[in-house]
Amino acid sequence: MALLTVKGLTKSFESTQAVNSIGFTIHEGRCVALLGPNGAGKTTAIRMLTGLIAPTSGDIEFHGIGPGADRRSLIGFLPQVPAFYNWMTGREFLIYAGRLCGLSAKEAQTRSSELLERVGIASAAKRRIAGYSGGMKQRLGLAQALIHRPKLLILDEPVSALDPIGRREVMELLRSLKLETTVLFSTHVLHDAEELCDDVLIMRAGRIAVGGSIQDIRSEHRQPILSLEIEQDEHSRKWLQNWLKTPPAYVKTYSALSGGVRLVVDDVNAARRNLLAELVESDVRMTKLEIGHTTLEDLFMKAVTE
Amino acid sequence: MDAISSEKLLILIAPLIVLQLLLMIIALVVCARSKDVNGPKLLWVLIILFGNLIGSVLFFVFGRRSS
Amino acid sequence: MSQWFVLYRKEWLELIRSGKLIWVPVVFILLGASQPIVSYMLPEIIAGAGNMPEGTVIELPTLTASGVMVQTLQQFGTLGLLIIALISMGTVSNERLSGTSAMILVKPVAYSSFVTAKWAAMLTITAISFGLGYGAGWYYTAALFGSVSLLAAAGSSLLFGLWLGFVGTVTILFSTLLRSAAAAAFSALGAAALLSIATTLLPKALAWSPGKLTELAAAQLMSGHASGLWPVVSITIISIIAALALAVWHLRQHPSIEAV
Repeated sequence: MALLTVKGLTKSFESTQAVNSIGFTIHEGRCVALLGPNGAGKTTAIRMLTGLIAPTSGDIEFHGIGPGADRRSLIGFLPQVPAFYNWMTGREFLIYAGRLCGLSAKEAQTRSSELLERVGIASAAKRRIAGYSGGMKQRLGLAQALIHRPKLLILDEPVSALDPIGRREVMELLRSLKLETTVLFSTHVLHDAEELCDDVLIMRAGRIAVGGSIQDIRSEHRQPILSLEIEQDEHSRKWLQNWLKTPPAYVKTYSALSGGVRLVVDDVNAARRNLLAELVESDVRMTKLEIGHTTLEDLFMKAVTE
Repeated sequence: MDAISSEKLLILIAPLIVLQLLLMIIALVVCARSKDVNGPKLLWVLIILFGNLIGSVLFFVFGRRSS
Repeated sequence: MSQWFVLYRKEWLELIRSGKLIWVPVVFILLGASQPIVSYMLPEIIAGAGNMPEGTVIELPTLTASGVMVQTLQQFGTLGLLIIALISMGTVSNERLSGTSAMILVKPVAYSSFVTAKWAAMLTITAISFGLGYGAGWYYTAALFGSVSLLAAAGSSLLFGLWLGFVGTVTILFSTLLRSAAAAAFSALGAAALLSIATTLLPKALAWSPGKLTELAAAQLMSGHASGLWPVVSITIISIIAALALAVWHLRQHPSIEAV
């Protein structure tokens, strides 16, 4: 069931168009990654969803809330750099957040204790936030986003500022969270998206370049690849250089490897046959020929660089 | 204007001096305990000690980095 | 409504934890009490200063108790106003710059509650500080110069308190409109000064101006009644409401500092 539909969402700042008419649907229970390099417009898109930035144009529609209802009550949000009142304790901030979301004093207290335990900062609950480390603030930020059991949890680059251990721990936390609620998080690291998500939206320069479930994208965009490596003698190198000047028709694109070349081809059998024949005929000293498939990373690189 | 004995005047002024000292002490304590003071701590201590009322006020307003 | 109280309680807690609830009233008490003492001791101070030619007679106007209270109000009108502007200047802008407003305003919080809770906290600390400070001034004046009727003092304190509240509200408005806290304090104090000067220069044309409140408070002290009071009070209250509405409207347009 669709939880959120976005249509033609656009945000222009004075001279630049940060987000350019993007549209997508988020289904209930899915984990969605908003993937893209820095400056692709991810944060702006997310801030529009949370209501922190007014869109220049476009629609954001949550399904299943009455007209006039505040969509913010459905959203839990963790910004890229969560900010707190440093003079409060972690527990005080959580209770405050809970009360603002409409929880009763009692509910807010039990829920806060629960979440402090869950994100692993229960021992620091009574300390001032001023003394928290970056990782602790990230966990507290996650806890405050969850305080009112939101239908949609939105996280802006939740792990990019953390060290490898903190990153690991937050990822584990997210893995358990995605079983309970719908999650949308932005990241510039493909690996994080692949590890956690069902769906991915790849953004580039304010637009969505590719979007859909990871499995679909993987099979749809899967292309055969030939990786060829040769010895670094004069003859073989020359041959490769010349050969690449006018590559045969079955080569769609290629990229240099150290000591060889990586070919994306259309018909893997024809390519293999032809290439082997040419190698033998020209007496090229091949060291390795590998047949494989493009990965999501190839697709990501292609989507964000083209 | 009635003449008031200097003794009585002193009794009137005394609580104000105490209050002023109290303010100064609070400012000094906050300054000493604060982790991020705007600028050198010693400078603020001097400002609080010699700036009278204004010195303490300046410290409370500008001395600490806002949260 | 309960949400509003949650917001207000947070502001209140912040006043306590930041120490504002202690030092601001103390400073106001010192301001209020020291004026009568300085006025009382002024002849002695001048006499004690020496290097006067032999036989100089210093003619100082005789001070009435009400006159001293008016001087006390002038203290609050300068230093007191400055302190109120300084403690309110970052009310909204600090939260927007640090990002805490973004944390709060993504929750189902009414923008109007967010602003008015802060405003109410500003009014609270202003009322407490000015009330205590003016009370101290009243007490010391009574001890040194003779008593001023409680009614006249209370009436003038309400008028003057309204002026302080007005400037505090304007500071919060500028704190919402501008990024820099210092610029907000500067603009609010500048606006207050301009309003006062303009009102003095054009008493007829600006008979309704909030800048007239200080004058009315003084008149209340000196003569026990202030004429032309209600237009000024109504206009001030309307201006306060308008300033709050503008602040809320602006915050709704720009809840956080926008980053590309």
